[in-house]
Order: sequence, then structure tokens, then C-alpha cells
Amino acid sequence: MIDFLVTWLASTPTFATPILLACIGLIVCERAGVLNLGAEGMMAVGAMAAVAVTLTGGNPWTGILAGIGAGALLGLVFGLAVVVLRADQILAGLAAVAIGLGAAGLIGKPYVHTTVTGIARLDIPGLSDLPVVGPILFAQDPFVYIAVALALLGWFYLMRTRAGLRLRATGEDPGAADVAGVDVQLTQLAAVIVSGAACGLAGAYLSVVASQVWVEGMVAGRGWIAIGLVIFARWSPPRAILGALIFGGADALTPRLQAVGADVPAYLMMMLPYLLTIAVLAVPALLRRGGNAEPASLGLPFLRQDRR
Amino acid sequence: MSMSVFTAARARLRGTALALALGLGLAVLAGAQPADAFDLKGPPKIAFIYAAAIKDGGWNEAMDAARVKVEEALGVKIATSESIPEEATAFKAAVDLYVKRGYNIIVGTSYGYSDPILEAAKAYPDVAFLNASGTTNAANLESFYARTYEAWYLAGMAAGSVSGSGKVGMLAGFPVSVVNWDINAFTRGAQAMKPGAEAIAIFTNSWWDPVKEGQTSEAMLDQGADVIATNLSAASALNAAEKKGKYAIGYQIDMTAYAPKGILTSVVFRWENYLTPTIKKIIAGGWTPEEYGAFVGISTKTVDLLPFTANVPAEAQAKIAETRAAIEAGTFSPFAGPVVKQDGTEAVPAGAVMDDEKLWALDYFVKGVIGTMPAASK
Repeated sequence: MIDFLVTWLASTPTFATPILLACIGLIVCERAGVLNLGAEGMMAVGAMAAVAVTLTGGNPWTGILAGIGAGALLGLVFGLAVVVLRADQILAGLAAVAIGLGAAGLIGKPYVHTTVTGIARLDIPGLSDLPVVGPILFAQDPFVYIAVALALLGWFYLMRTRAGLRLRATGEDPGAADVAGVDVQLTQLAAVIVSGAACGLAGAYLSVVASQVWVEGMVAGRGWIAIGLVIFARWSPPRAILGALIFGGADALTPRLQAVGADVPAYLMMMLPYLLTIAVLAVPALLRRGGNAEPASLGLPFLRQDRR
Repeated sequence: MSMSVFTAARARLRGTALALALGLGLAVLAGAQPADAFDLKGPPKIAFIYAAAIKDGGWNEAMDAARVKVEEALGVKIATSESIPEEATAFKAAVDLYVKRGYNIIVGTSYGYSDPILEAAKAYPDVAFLNASGTTNAANLESFYARTYEAWYLAGMAAGSVSGSGKVGMLAGFPVSVVNWDINAFTRGAQAMKPGAEAIAIFTNSWWDPVKEGQTSEAMLDQGADVIATNLSAASALNAAEKKGKYAIGYQIDMTAYAPKGILTSVVFRWENYLTPTIKKIIAGGWTPEEYGAFVGISTKTVDLLPFTANVPAEAQAKIAETRAAIEAGTFSPFAGPVVKQDGTEAVPAGAVMDDEKLWALDYFVKGVIGTMPAASK
């Protein structure tokens, strides 16, 4: 029993890390007032680019950088569309998904189903051999720790720095931020690119670190789960860690329960992230207090001429 | 929900022939009449139509390898179209173009083409149609699939012969009969070599998710499985076994590269062994599509095993070769009775053999499978 718990919890970060990485970027983006529904596509190009570069003379780390770059590039395209050209964010986001999936499939053709040497697990000396906590906390791959650090960094940036305050002001009331001297478009564009880069990193993690192979469609809906996680975390990076662990833990639990022969309602488990997200959206509304922490101007294009 | 999940699932459904069972059943009800021999008009021009990318590491790649072999055998060039969606309008447009350009033998490669290809066959009675894992047949259309369970039984014997723990694992996509019979045959094969052997079977509910496949394999390894067989296409299941120093069995194409040390064999498709003689017959004249489609066994090598590696002991290999000969001779079937279900009830009594109708409706696990058949598939 204890073995089962340890192996389950030790495998949870592999599922939690990619959605957490994407989620942190998406939180920054939404806090700046831009709804980025393109996460799935940005993860797809990230996953493909990471493997492509790793296979063509690079190493896994340059591959990861390429994944970040590819995600950021698609982020830039999306950003230009919604921030500069003020395209509808929902439509442009869905278009970014289609572009990302299509581009990944097209460019990635020569690299499909080819295994890469990934990034090894980081066993922390002295701690990784500890019973129970060792394998769970101290024998994960480096990106598990990086994701947690990024979440805390994201929180610090958003809540404790002047630049973070400006970004949040942009998402709450771009008109007021503009009056206060914030360059709304530049802030939003930067936030969108950051979210693209984060999604690219998440995709690169899926291909180079978690499975060490790329196949078309391997993101398999995780981008949408990350978008759900933003709402579940109520736009707070530290809460996203908790949420990612819950979503990832459920994901990791299904195969492990099946492996011991338990009758798992697999389809129900696959619905769980979405059900939890709806619950988190519904609860504040039902309690009639607090609101749901959604940035007030999320999804609204900013036109300076329209400023009140 | 994500588009990619749906397209990916659809794209791979062609590999499952999910409702071939239904199709066969309906064909029986419809009382399809045996047709007169098909007569090809004009010189043969052949085209293959794929529902997804050709280089998919599995189903389509195996099919395309067969296309190259058919080209060599017949000395003709074969046209291809890839990623043609499994819907009537898109498929019809592709067929229309080919027919206009004089193509008269069209090979579909997807379960999802079953209905559109039947429509095309009706619209173009002078064109011969073949469809892999399809469910529809007509006077100028034959669906084909292989008895994959025969190969998986032999692969199971190999797994049983090397397993120290008596536990093997099989990773599968969705609970459909063509997958279920692989799992059951694999388990029974393992038991033939190691009495009391158990097989952990897990459905990932996805055709394309290497992350999940790798993690699911790890879960099976953690539960004591020392052979991991994949019924899917991604490398990560074999990778996981290789990393833990355990054994692995691949599927669809040669997967040796993914687990060079631990691989036992791969269950592979060689569709050319069905396609070349069939197309030759179409060209020569005298081709009559099977009323309920072609369902070819391991004797045709359409589904086959790669030579076992040295991981499989010589005496086990000899016994497997004996069993294979018996299957090919028709004196043995992987589902010869008694076949006992997971819950202990008898599915096939001693002395009887599971017939094709029961095979296509297979919705239970046999005794020794660790895992649960999702309620929806029952």
C-alpha cells in the first residue's frame, strides 16, 4: 500500500509539470487582460521544435530553448493579431491552436517517432535515497523544480513588483493604466509572448523530458487543461501549483489503479479537471461573494481612442 | 474539447475496425449476395488513400511499406493521398479525382472510410475498391483485416517464457473487439508457457499520448510486470521497459530501436501479403470480393512476428514455432476451448473453438487478465 502511494505520488509531477508551466504563462497573460486560448497550439509547436532541434545536432537543452522560442514565436503572431490589430481574442486563440497543430504536424514530419536522449532525473544527493519522501520530492527531473520556482517567481513578479502592478492594472482597467503612463500595448504584447514561451516550454517538456519522442497530437488536450487550471487557480501562480498537483495526481492515479486491477471510471477521471474548473467558477457565484478574481478587462481589446 | 484529441482518436480508429463486428453482423442481416467476378476495364492504375499522415509510426506506415512492396511486385507506380478526412465529402472528392484521371483500383486504409467507400463503390462499379479494417463489402469492394490474435498468442508465449514474476503487461488504446482479442490471446499465450501467468491490461483511452503510455508502462512495471507489450504505436512504452531492464514487445512496425536490449519481438503487419495477390487477381480477372470481407490469418504472414531475439530461450522458440505451425495448419486456435472469462464463467466449452462472430463481438477479458473492461464496451 505504501509502495503504491509512493510510486503514485512520485509519478504525479510528470503529469503536473507541463500543465503548471503553461498555466503560469497563461496567468501572466490573462492578468494583462489577454485571453490566450492558443495554448494547445503553442505547446504543440514547442514539443515539435524541441525534438527537431535535439535531433538535428542539438542537445536536449538547446532543444528546450528551441521549444521556448517556437512557442514565443507563435505567441508573437497571436499577440500582433490581438494586441496590435485588435482581432477577437477568442477567434484568434482558436486560430492559433489550428496554426500550431498544423505547423507542428507539417514541419515535424521528419522527426516523428524518433526517440531522443532526454534530460535525466535529478537525484538530489543524500535526499533522494530517503524512504518515501526521497522518490517523491528529491528524485524528479529538473523541470519539476524549475516549474515550482517559476510559479513562485510569477507570484512575486505579479504581486510584489512595480512592473507586476502595471501589468495587473492593464488587465483590470487598461484605460486607467494608460492614463497612469503604462504602455498598454507593449505590456500586453510582452505578456502574450511570455505565455507563448511558457507553453512552448511545457510542450518541450512533454516531448524531450517526459516521453523522449514526438508524435503528432501528443499534447492531447493538455493546453486546454492548463487554461482550465488558470481559472481553477483563480489567477494565482502558487494556487496553480496546488491545482496542477490535483489535476496531475488524478491523471497519474488512473493507470496505477488500473494496473492493480481496480475498476476505475476512466472517462469520469478524464472529465475531472473540467468538472473542478466549472466548480471553481460556480462556487463564488453561488456564495454571492468575492467574485471569481477574473481580471476585469480580460478578453476586451483596448482602443486608446475609446478611453473614457 | 480539444480538436486534436478528436482528430487523433479518429485518425487512429481506422486501425481498430471497431465496428467491423457490427458491419459483419449487418452484412449477415442484409443477406449480401455473392457477386459475379469483377472485370477490370483498361490498364491497372492504383491509388492508396490514407486517413492520416503516412509516417505515423504505426498503422499508416505499415500500410505504406506494403504499398512499396506492391509497386515492386507489380512493377507499377502507385499514387497516394494522405490525411484525407474520414468523411464522405472529403473522401468522395479524392476518389472522384482519381477516377477522372483513370485510376481503377483504389485502396482505402481506414475503418472510418467504410461508409464513404461503399458509396464510391456504388458510384463507380467499374473501379475495384479495397479497404483495410473496413466494415463494408460489395461486388467491387472488399474490406480486409488480419487475425492479429494469432500473432499475439505467439508473442504471449514468448513473454511467458521470459517472465520471472509471472506477470506481463499490455498497453492498449480502446476496448474494442480487435484490441480485446489481442489482450486475451496474449494472456493465454503467456499462460501456455507459464501456467498461472497474469497479464495487466490497461486502456489509455487514447491512440496518441506518449506521456501517458510511458507512465502507464511504469505503473505496470511497478506492479511487478517484467514484460511490456504495446498495442499502440508510441515508443515510450518500450523505452520505459528498457530503462528498468525489463522486456518489451512492439507492434505494427519493427520497434527494436526503442528497446534494443530488452525487445523480444514485434508483431508486425505485412499487408502486401494480402494486397499483392489480391490486386494481381483483380488485374488478371476473376476477382470476387469475399461476402463478409477478407479476414486473413498468420499463415498468410499478413500479420507476422519478427524473429525472436536471443532474450527468448531456444526451447521456448522451438515450442512457439510448433504452435505457429499448428495454427497455420488449422489444428490449433488461440481461442480453442475451454476459454474461461475473467469472472470464471465459461465462454467456449472444451472441444469447441470461438467462431468469427463471437470474436468480432469479444467484450470480455479471459481469466488471468488483471484489469477491468470499461462498462461502456459491454
